[in-house]
Amino acid sequence: MFRLLHFIPIALATAVGLMPSWSMADDASANYFEKQIRPLLAKHCYRCHSERSKDPEAGLLLDSRMGWIEGGQTGASIIPGDPDASLLIRAVRYSDPELQMPPIKPLSVDEVAKLEHWVRIGAPGPIGIDLVPTEEPSDPSLGKSHWAFRPLRIDSPSMHPSNEWSGSSIDRLIAERLEKAGLHPVDDADPRDLLKRLYFQLIGLPPSPEEIQAFIDDTSSDALERTVDRLLASPRFGERWGRHWLDLARYADSNGLDENFLFREAWRYRNWVIARVNDDMPYDRFLLEQIAGDLLDYDSIEQRDQQRIAAGFLVIGPKVLLGNNERNQRMEVADEQMDTLGRAILGQTLGCARCHDHKFDPIPTADYYALAGIFASTRVMESRYMLGQQRLMERLVGLGSRGDIADDAYEAYWRGHPDLKEKKKRADAVLEVLRQDHCEELDALLQENAAGLAESVRDTRKSLDERISAQEAFIKTLAASLNSPPPIPPRAMIPADVDVPSDENIRLAGQFDRLGEVVPRGSLRVLMDDAPMEISSTESGRTALARWLTDESGRASQLVARVQANRVWYHLMGVGLVRTVDNFGRTGEQPSHPELLDYLAGQLIDSGWSVKALVRQIVLSRTFTLSSDFNQANDAIDPENRLLWRAHRRRLDPESFRDAMLTAAGQLDLTPMDSSVSYLGDQATAVGANKVRRRTDFPCRSIYLPVIRNDLPELFNVFDFADPHTTTGARSKTIVPTQGLFVLNDAMVMDASEATARRILAIAPKNDTDAKIDLMFERILNARPSNVETQAMRSFLIRTEESLCSENASDPEVRALAIACHALFASSRFQFLE
Amino acid sequence: MTACNQFSSRSTRRAMLRNSACGFGQLAFSALLAKSSLALNAPQASPLSPKPPHFPARAKRIIFLFMWGGPSQVDTFDPKPLLNASDGKFPSSEVESGDRSKGGKLLGSPFRFSQHGQSGVWISELFPQLSQQADRLCVIRSVHTEGSAHGEALLRLHTGQANLVRPSVGAWLSYGLGCESESLPAYITISPPRGHGGVQNYGSAFLPAMHQGTAIGSAEIPIAKAQVSNVGNTRIANRLQREQLDLIQTLNRDHLRDATADQGIEGLIANYELAFRMQATIPAVMNIDGETKETQELYGIGVEPTDNFGRQCLLARKFAEEGVRYIQVSTDYTWDHHKKLKEGLITESAKVDRPIAGLLTDLARRGLLEDTLVVWGAEFGRTPTAENEDGRNHHPRAFTMWLAGGGVKGGLTYGSTDDFGFQPVEKPVHMHDLHATLLYAMGLDHKRLTYRHAGRDFRLTDVHGNVVQEIWA
Repeated sequence: MFRLLHFIPIALATAVGLMPSWSMADDASANYFEKQIRPLLAKHCYRCHSERSKDPEAGLLLDSRMGWIEGGQTGASIIPGDPDASLLIRAVRYSDPELQMPPIKPLSVDEVAKLEHWVRIGAPGPIGIDLVPTEEPSDPSLGKSHWAFRPLRIDSPSMHPSNEWSGSSIDRLIAERLEKAGLHPVDDADPRDLLKRLYFQLIGLPPSPEEIQAFIDDTSSDALERTVDRLLASPRFGERWGRHWLDLARYADSNGLDENFLFREAWRYRNWVIARVNDDMPYDRFLLEQIAGDLLDYDSIEQRDQQRIAAGFLVIGPKVLLGNNERNQRMEVADEQMDTLGRAILGQTLGCARCHDHKFDPIPTADYYALAGIFASTRVMESRYMLGQQRLMERLVGLGSRGDIADDAYEAYWRGHPDLKEKKKRADAVLEVLRQDHCEELDALLQENAAGLAESVRDTRKSLDERISAQEAFIKTLAASLNSPPPIPPRAMIPADVDVPSDENIRLAGQFDRLGEVVPRGSLRVLMDDAPMEISSTESGRTALARWLTDESGRASQLVARVQANRVWYHLMGVGLVRTVDNFGRTGEQPSHPELLDYLAGQLIDSGWSVKALVRQIVLSRTFTLSSDFNQANDAIDPENRLLWRAHRRRLDPESFRDAMLTAAGQLDLTPMDSSVSYLGDQATAVGANKVRRRTDFPCRSIYLPVIRNDLPELFNVFDFADPHTTTGARSKTIVPTQGLFVLNDAMVMDASEATARRILAIAPKNDTDAKIDLMFERILNARPSNVETQAMRSFLIRTEESLCSENASDPEVRALAIACHALFASSRFQFLE
Repeated sequence: MTACNQFSSRSTRRAMLRNSACGFGQLAFSALLAKSSLALNAPQASPLSPKPPHFPARAKRIIFLFMWGGPSQVDTFDPKPLLNASDGKFPSSEVESGDRSKGGKLLGSPFRFSQHGQSGVWISELFPQLSQQADRLCVIRSVHTEGSAHGEALLRLHTGQANLVRPSVGAWLSYGLGCESESLPAYITISPPRGHGGVQNYGSAFLPAMHQGTAIGSAEIPIAKAQVSNVGNTRIANRLQREQLDLIQTLNRDHLRDATADQGIEGLIANYELAFRMQATIPAVMNIDGETKETQELYGIGVEPTDNFGRQCLLARKFAEEGVRYIQVSTDYTWDHHKKLKEGLITESAKVDRPIAGLLTDLARRGLLEDTLVVWGAEFGRTPTAENEDGRNHHPRAFTMWLAGGGVKGGLTYGSTDDFGFQPVEKPVHMHDLHATLLYAMGLDHKRLTYRHAGRDFRLTDVHGNVVQEIWA
């Protein structure tokens, strides 16, 4: 009932019959087009200039980018970035007596200004138009024609010409588009920049000065290839690429939402992901184990446990824990799992079909509940004793050959804990009465408190003293048991099938208690050819679902491969071929290079779903090695760099920011970590008396820091880390003052600066300021300073050291250098990758 | 510049100067547009520059006084003679309602109610100071929500939603109206709870991060010791830090020259300047030494038990003056009276009564109350039945919140509940309705304030919400 869909009247009024796919620089320009421009065009222009107008006037269509760029009989109507040269602007200005639009009444000054502004910022808008019968957007068989659901179309690369620039298949497909658009790729990146880019993209760490020098000196033809292979084989690779997956898996060490209980065992799943990425586990198997790992065959207990841990993927989602009806909770949990699976693996927003047929995509409510049947037949919650009461909590299973027994014993102890406490309370009362020798009360107590006394207390033949000491001994045993709970056995968050798997009813309007018809368990029909998915009545259907997703003969695998190939491209190049990386539906964007996307998806499947092979192929392309240099002529044609005439300049994510800083400081410990939250109580965020808070002072790589929902490490919080409540394919890119405040003032940044300064002073020749400056730039920016930089830095160091001396500050040399190192960490050259 | 001034009714010369570039937002945006040589009179400005409302606003800012835990309505603003008369009896099954009231006996209120002011608004003896301002209050007795546990109810109160992460009310307002101040955010939350949803209660969710609330301290920390994280540097003196920043900016500009018109680098340069201004402005606003003794006393500062909440309320006024649009003030988790209700309410109301009355008085005499909407309330109310004999349980089905200033009718009692306070009987106001009404007060149509995310448009009230129309003067 909470997920009812709505959308703005504007979208309805103007998009009837047409489903746009977007080409937007970002949300802001998307918003500008939607809010300011589309209504204006719709009101004044679409009657005569849109797909809907039966015979567009002068052949001009104004409802898509293609339309206004190609223009009508008088040529392009809009030159993005240049209002004065755009026919449309000339027309609406009414200054040219030959060209005045709209014909009857001119637009208001304000409206003209909006259009001029819009053209000036590049006329962002939908690329093209997919014609969709509006009456049935959710019809699965009609939906099969949507580009993302079509079979892969892979031409032989030889069909695309190659030249000196474009050796590889990827480059041919890029070059072809560049050429058509009149663009020329910029020069290759400087080897230093290229190596830095490679290191950060593949392992999330900077190269050492020695590695840079070796790379520059290595003139052999396979130098790059060997470096790439070395980085792919490094255990650090999984620590970067595993994190990409954890963003999608909404990985966290706590529940979040209303009751932020600790997920004490979630780290096992995190480390499973890192290990499997390092092993290059085939992507189809990687998905299978996460969706159905608990149901798969195994050869050893260890394998069983690893597969089970993988399926923790289904368990680690956030859930409303208190005050929630259990039946409602089951549907909420299923919805959350489907939302994650849908967006992360299929690039589809399934949740929209929970309350009604999807309004944009070919997903009827029946398909939603076909899938929901699978997840509702999966159990991820169980009753456990925690924080003083029985609660419905995430399901935990003991690991190892005797894991079940250890876990049972542990749970039994805590289940019995309230009784034990009560027993001790009563025993104390009995002792008190004995001591005071109140016999009449004692009789009554003996009746009431059979459990609260030692055997011999009943024995009236014994002396009072004997009875007292017997009771004291009894209490001592109770106290010992109360005060020494058994250690937590090794456990993991693991799902299971319910005892009686069943199909689900459609829920009317998404409300869990309003039952519609039952639908057999299955999946999205738009991705099926004929036969329904076969699910045995004794299982949830997760295994069948996982196998269906990556079955190479089916339609689903083609979409799965496209989505994943696009993600790999996005992480390496900074922008996806489909920029809406989690949305391949009709409200998502179309690929900028459809053939390239299909080619990469095909490569992924053909390599046996090897992600490393795909990464390797992309980073060894000429396209990857381009510099990020600006070029006026190219910029005028393609200001967004959609066609990749240069590399996108990228900001470091918070993990790399921190890890690189600690590397420069010589403080990063590369040992992988298990739990980083074991010291926390069951409440992961403090309420009232519970003051223990997640720590962030571990010297480990950032991927191992605690991910407490609603209490992320501050660094993560300010620098756009993925919100761990939900799937995040592309983190947001904000520039907010809290980032500036963090970099200028945070203790961790200053500590790292000082450590870096001390390291430099240890090796720099005495009294040689320029040598110190060279070392700073080398260690922090992996670069050499320009003249401007050396001068600015030199005068700052001298001035600062002098002023610190005059204030009698301690260690002025160290402090001045530390403040200068701090400045370099804060500089754009550190925070951006070329 | 009209968009800037539209909202600064109280703009002083200083404020005018400060806002003359439309705040940071404009600064960053004009930097972004340098490349396309766009003049400052662009029809579209940055996400943070002030934006016109959908229709004329009644209030220019909101101060929300949040009583964490859930005060009892039948002991404060919603008198129930029949409940008192039925003390100790079981309620009939027709009237009884709510998961948490089942099985309990009715519990009469230990507090006396009387009518106050010209309007005769009923207020119990727990709020003697506030009672003197009864004619300023618009008491809504028929508020209802979902979630009988604190966490869920807090999330619904703050974001309208509990099982999905959604932007908070203040974040929507920041997104809808932009920022009035050049050196302060649009949304500040003073002493927010760390539990029961924590930062999610003032988060921006999928809205751009600049719209999230800036926290000052947290609920369990005395406000006098609270700080905004990383505002100020204890190791580097201010003058030296400025020189350091100049060095950073020199390096950045050198980079920018090489990169040619890179939006990210330009944004970074503008952002450092804003951060540096913020770290000067926030401590200055938070310093209350400049307030007269009389003003401090008005809020109960310097005496117990009112010192802490008094300081919080005074800060709220100061931020309101500086152009912050949405300011929340939270108590600690102290209103959850499952037992010893009488003692608990006496203790807690004594902490907030004078500060709240002081805030209303101070806002009024500075001419701020007419366009500042003050909202008082909590995540839910409490059961008319007893729990643990002398306490009350959570009750989301019907409870009281009140509004003051910001164009509401003072002295109005709106909506009603049944004879015991189980359910609304007249003019129920759901939490979504309240949210729609708050946006309305600020000149925003809750159905039009949307944001596109994950393939569709979202709004604060989802598909719900009706503006309460009859409460406006």
